[in-house]
Amino acid sequence: MHGPDVAWYLVLAGMLFVTGALGVLVRRSPLIILLSVEIMLNGANLALIAFARHYGHEDGQVFAIAVMAIAASEVVVGLGLIVAMGRRDIELDVDKLRTLRG
Amino acid sequence: MTASAWICLALPLASTAAITAAGNRISRRGAGYLSTATTFGSFAAAIAAFVRMLGETAHERAHATTSWTWLSAGPYHFGLTLLTDQLSVMMMLIVTGVGGLIIAYSIGYMDGEDEERRYFAYMSLFVFSMLLLVQSGTLLLLLAGWGMVGLSSYLLIGFHQDRPSAVAAAKKAFVMNAFGDATLVLALFLLVQHTGRLDYAGVFATSPRGGTVANLIALGLLGGAVAKSAQIPLHTWLPDAMEGPTPVSALIHAATMVTAGVYLIARTHVLFENAWFVEDLAAALGAATLLMAGLIALVQVDIKRVIAYSTMSQIGYMFVGAAAGAYPSGMFHLMTHAFFKALLFLAAGIAIHALSGEQDIRKMRGLGRTMPHTRTVFLIGCLALVGIPPFAGFFSKDSIIAATLSRGAFGDVLFACCIAGALLTGVYTFRLFFTVFTKEGDAQPHLHGKREGPFSMVAVVTVLAGLSVVGGFLQFGPVWTPLTTWLSPVAQPFAQASSWQEAAASAAAVAAGALGIWVAYAAYVKGTIRVPKALPLLERKFYWDVFYDLAFYNVADFVARRLRTVFELPLIVGSIGEIRAGFTFGAGEASRAQNGLVRSYALALAAGVAVLAVVFLTTR
Repeated sequence: MHGPDVAWYLVLAGMLFVTGALGVLVRRSPLIILLSVEIMLNGANLALIAFARHYGHEDGQVFAIAVMAIAASEVVVGLGLIVAMGRRDIELDVDKLRTLRG
Repeated sequence: MTASAWICLALPLASTAAITAAGNRISRRGAGYLSTATTFGSFAAAIAAFVRMLGETAHERAHATTSWTWLSAGPYHFGLTLLTDQLSVMMMLIVTGVGGLIIAYSIGYMDGEDEERRYFAYMSLFVFSMLLLVQSGTLLLLLAGWGMVGLSSYLLIGFHQDRPSAVAAAKKAFVMNAFGDATLVLALFLLVQHTGRLDYAGVFATSPRGGTVANLIALGLLGGAVAKSAQIPLHTWLPDAMEGPTPVSALIHAATMVTAGVYLIARTHVLFENAWFVEDLAAALGAATLLMAGLIALVQVDIKRVIAYSTMSQIGYMFVGAAAGAYPSGMFHLMTHAFFKALLFLAAGIAIHALSGEQDIRKMRGLGRTMPHTRTVFLIGCLALVGIPPFAGFFSKDSIIAATLSRGAFGDVLFACCIAGALLTGVYTFRLFFTVFTKEGDAQPHLHGKREGPFSMVAVVTVLAGLSVVGGFLQFGPVWTPLTTWLSPVAQPFAQASSWQEAAASAAAVAAGALGIWVAYAAYVKGTIRVPKALPLLERKFYWDVFYDLAFYNVADFVARRLRTVFELPLIVGSIGEIRAGFTFGAGEASRAQNGLVRSYALALAAGVAVLAVVFLTTR
């Protein structure tokens, strides 16, 4: 087994995840929120791959690939929505999009 | 051997399934033909089993066959077992033979009726249920057949589902039978608890002899038998069951259903012999029923109800016979009764059919002139019912009456009841006959050309009339007893009448029956005896229905009404408004959380995950 201990990877994964989560919570632009979600997903991916390497098991890698595929499709939908909003001159601010209020 | 038993059981079920699945693709006639053909196919299988059995010695004739384990619970395993022995093959022959004739008759009777296919599917199901009951090799499977017979009778009594009285009668029959089913189930619970098995041989060998448990078991079985066979105190469903079409009444009364109780007593006679008190109780109930039903039949004016009460009375004789220890005599009477009771119902059905549904005997006067063939076969049925030699009822009824004589003082009481019952039978049967068929009247039957009814109907009653004449010669007193010999390995009778008892019983019963006929003749033809006004006690059927209404219906009705005023109205209806207001308020408050801010939702999610993480980490 080469390279740093698995704990370091986990620390980095946790930092990426928290960074993404903070971005989702504090930013208002849907574009940035989408970026932050991607960062969160990649934090999780890193943890999966780190454990897969640690246990010498491929399952984690497979899951990481699946997560990437899902993330890609999610970005397609999200960016599509944002582009559509931009074309209709809707302000890109999630706090203004409140029509789902109960 | 075993194959024929399975074929006999499966054919009627296959007919039900085929008619149900085919729906409109099978013609109405076709459904009738299919049902008739499968029932007679079953009859052929039963004959094959019977012939095969004839070639074996007496103690090799019982054949049990298990197809698979039906129920398995802990240490108990109950197989889907059929038992073909002397008793069940006799029942198979009666059920499929008489049942097939009745279904064939239905083809003519039900012609033009809406939903004939449903009718024939139910009829086949009824025959199947009864076959399951008599062929089962364990009490558990018998119980399944027992319940299915109740279900089939419910479906057929309520066949005219647009008629409220028919629906009420069907419900009544079902509820009273369910009561009997419940006591039967309790008896089986006790048997499982005390013997751990439910197959006949095992139960007979290990069930307790004497004592409370044996009495309770026999009492539970008796409760089931009494409900199914319409004996006091669970008899009130039978006359109401006349709401069904006439062939249904014939099937219920002759081939299936009411004979099940007698079969049960004969089949489980060992359990009854272990409980003398209950066996005597069964005989007493039978004697009471035969007297009461005979008295009620004297004043009924509906032709089918008179015959229905005569069935109750005749089943009473079978109960007396079976419970007094003369099992073959009870089964013999069951067989001859199947012949002549089917004949009476079906002959009455021809008359009703020709009069477009008229059943009031006061409006049926004068039929004898226009329908001589029906009059002849009905007379044969009446003579067989009263027990005039050489007709079938004479041989079977007299052997029951003779058996009571050999049972000491209690038997003498039974004997007196039976003779009184024979007198009543003569009076009410010939009151019916003389009123409908010999009086001058203006009943105008619609005849089908030269015949008095469709061919299938006339042919079937002719066959049954023949059976009612010759059926009794199967056994005659102590002289000629093949049936007793045949049944004795299964149901060894312990009441054996001596020759002089047979002779005395025959003489007394025939004299009583003939006296009854003379009384009816004098009262309803000659007019030399003035007919007294009908007692309200008899017209109201000894107030049993009134009593049941008071004891159960009114009590339940009262409790329900009180519950409504005391509990439902104030507590439930009154609180509905407040409950509604509470929910509206709660929902309004909860909807504030849905503020539409995506980021607050995300925060809630994150907070939730954080809380869960803390919980998992601290409780690990």
